[in-house]
Amino acid sequence: MNAIEIRQLQKSYRVYQKNEGLMASVRGLFHREYREVAAVKAIDLDVEQGEFVAFLGPNGAGKTTTLKLLSGVISPTGGEARVLGHVPWLRENDYRRRFALVMGQKNQLWWDLPAQESFTLHEKIYRIEHDKFVRTRDELCDLLNVGHLLGRPVRELSLGERMKMELTAALLHSPDVLFLDEPTIGLDVIAQHNIQKFLKFYQQERKITILLTSHYMKDVAALCKRVVIIAQGEIIYDGSLAGIIDKFSGHKILSLLFSDGRMPSDLARYGDVLEIVEPKARLRVDRGKISQVLSSVLANHTLEDISVEDPPLEEVIAELFSHSAEESERGKTAEEIRNGEMRTAGVSERSNK
Amino acid sequence: MSHHPSYLGVFLTFVRNSLVRDMTFRANFLIDTFSSMSWMIMNLGFYVLVYQFTPNIAGWGKFEFFVFIATTMFVNSLVQAFFMPNAEELSEQVRTGGLDFALLKPIDTQFLVSLRRISWSSLGNFFVAMLLLFYSVPRIEGLELSFWQVLLYPVYILMGVLILYSVMIALAATSIWLGRNQSLYDFWFYITNFSRYPMEIYQGTWGTPLRQLFTFVIPILVVINVPARLIAKPLSWEHSWLAAFGVVATLGSLLGSRWVFKRALWSYRSASS
Repeated sequence: MNAIEIRQLQKSYRVYQKNEGLMASVRGLFHREYREVAAVKAIDLDVEQGEFVAFLGPNGAGKTTTLKLLSGVISPTGGEARVLGHVPWLRENDYRRRFALVMGQKNQLWWDLPAQESFTLHEKIYRIEHDKFVRTRDELCDLLNVGHLLGRPVRELSLGERMKMELTAALLHSPDVLFLDEPTIGLDVIAQHNIQKFLKFYQQERKITILLTSHYMKDVAALCKRVVIIAQGEIIYDGSLAGIIDKFSGHKILSLLFSDGRMPSDLARYGDVLEIVEPKARLRVDRGKISQVLSSVLANHTLEDISVEDPPLEEVIAELFSHSAEESERGKTAEEIRNGEMRTAGVSERSNK
Repeated sequence: MSHHPSYLGVFLTFVRNSLVRDMTFRANFLIDTFSSMSWMIMNLGFYVLVYQFTPNIAGWGKFEFFVFIATTMFVNSLVQAFFMPNAEELSEQVRTGGLDFALLKPIDTQFLVSLRRISWSSLGNFFVAMLLLFYSVPRIEGLELSFWQVLLYPVYILMGVLILYSVMIALAATSIWLGRNQSLYDFWFYITNFSRYPMEIYQGTWGTPLRQLFTFVIPILVVINVPARLIAKPLSWEHSWLAAFGVVATLGSLLGSRWVFKRALWSYRSASS
């Protein structure tokens, strides 16, 4: 069963086009030029109940806008969406009781009060039975190891501790759907890891549906089997994390360990030389030529070790994002990027070096 | 889990949390209370001076007018305690995107936004008003309070508070369209300034249109005048239309502001992440 169904969902904003300078500002008082900015362009997406899906994309790609549409904070310009059978922007209480949104960059807890007081408020707003409330709260605080901080004013907590409190607050009413907008932003590695561990455990235990946006590939790798990449307001990829490399990377990394220091000087003819630390070398080789290069290397040199790997995911995605930004400046559509235009563009650029 | 949110439970939690918060900043709390009380007392001193030169203003004698001032203080302290901090914060929440969280909660958004924070220090004036009322009422010549006057006075004060709240929340909601509306407080001050005087003084070429504007369009003259007249003057049928109009004005303002608020929320666009 689908927990989330999105059809042709669109959101565009009318933005006041501000020109530089004082005169332009004065003119702007009387006559304003507006520009339509399409944040989300007709996306389709289905998410099954119990799935943990990551939303990846460069800044301004439309990830947060999508989450806000799905939580009913804003209403769309066009298209449809249903979450748990509800249209989110109708803001029905029956729907609002069943999901939660956590934003890493904003906090909803009362700043000057201990988190405990905000939790009590949630107990009343969501009308959670008191016994159940206490049980859930203690359970969450145990898992996140913040029980001892319940009585401390939120402003005195560290960023990581505060995020854990935000998560607790969001989960007190046991939502069926959870939207997480960069929940680990700005946290140190340990805090990030703790939150990942918690989310993983909680999701497996409760089988809730989670949509996560994050800039940290580690979050995604640790948590989500399914990844949706969104760029310029359109979905350009939907599949497994590993599949991203197959689809968007045109090369492999070849590592060679030469025996007896017999390192040849003309390695560049096999591919781009990434690194040489004798007796080791790392090369970037076009995916299509890899078998040919391998046999030629083996035929001509004595090797102690050899390995062929995929490039690091982070690199592939970073490249994909920077390309999608460039393409958009050149006027290419996400459709073309999705169809693999990007791969050839990336490869030809590299071979020009 | 029950399907209707417990509005009373939520309100009481707001009351409690705000009190805890105010108490945390004890010095600030005391300074707030003291400064708003002394401002009102100085204000009162000014009218003591004025009444040295005239026995009455537009039919309001000294002690009658003191009752009028006490009524102003009741209404204002309630508005300032319950609604003012929230209306001010709404503008800020729109700018920073904090309103997002209010929209997620399974409870009426206007309720949540309007009563979130209670400024306990503003209630200091409520007690000053109480003292002033108990001092002045027995000193009004020829006034014998009836049961109805005592009963209806707090009811009309409450209606006055609701009218002012409506104007305030409608003004604050405009910041959803405007992105920013910092002049809220100023505008508020200009408008309520008119409500602080007996409506009889608005006469003549300028006064009459003003009185009509602030009675029928933005009914802020009703806010203080109706309860003040009710308790400071003998009941008379002549003025019963005003009491009836007070009810209409309250309902109208509440419905009007509700409409504005809902319309504004619909076009809310949230701040960037």
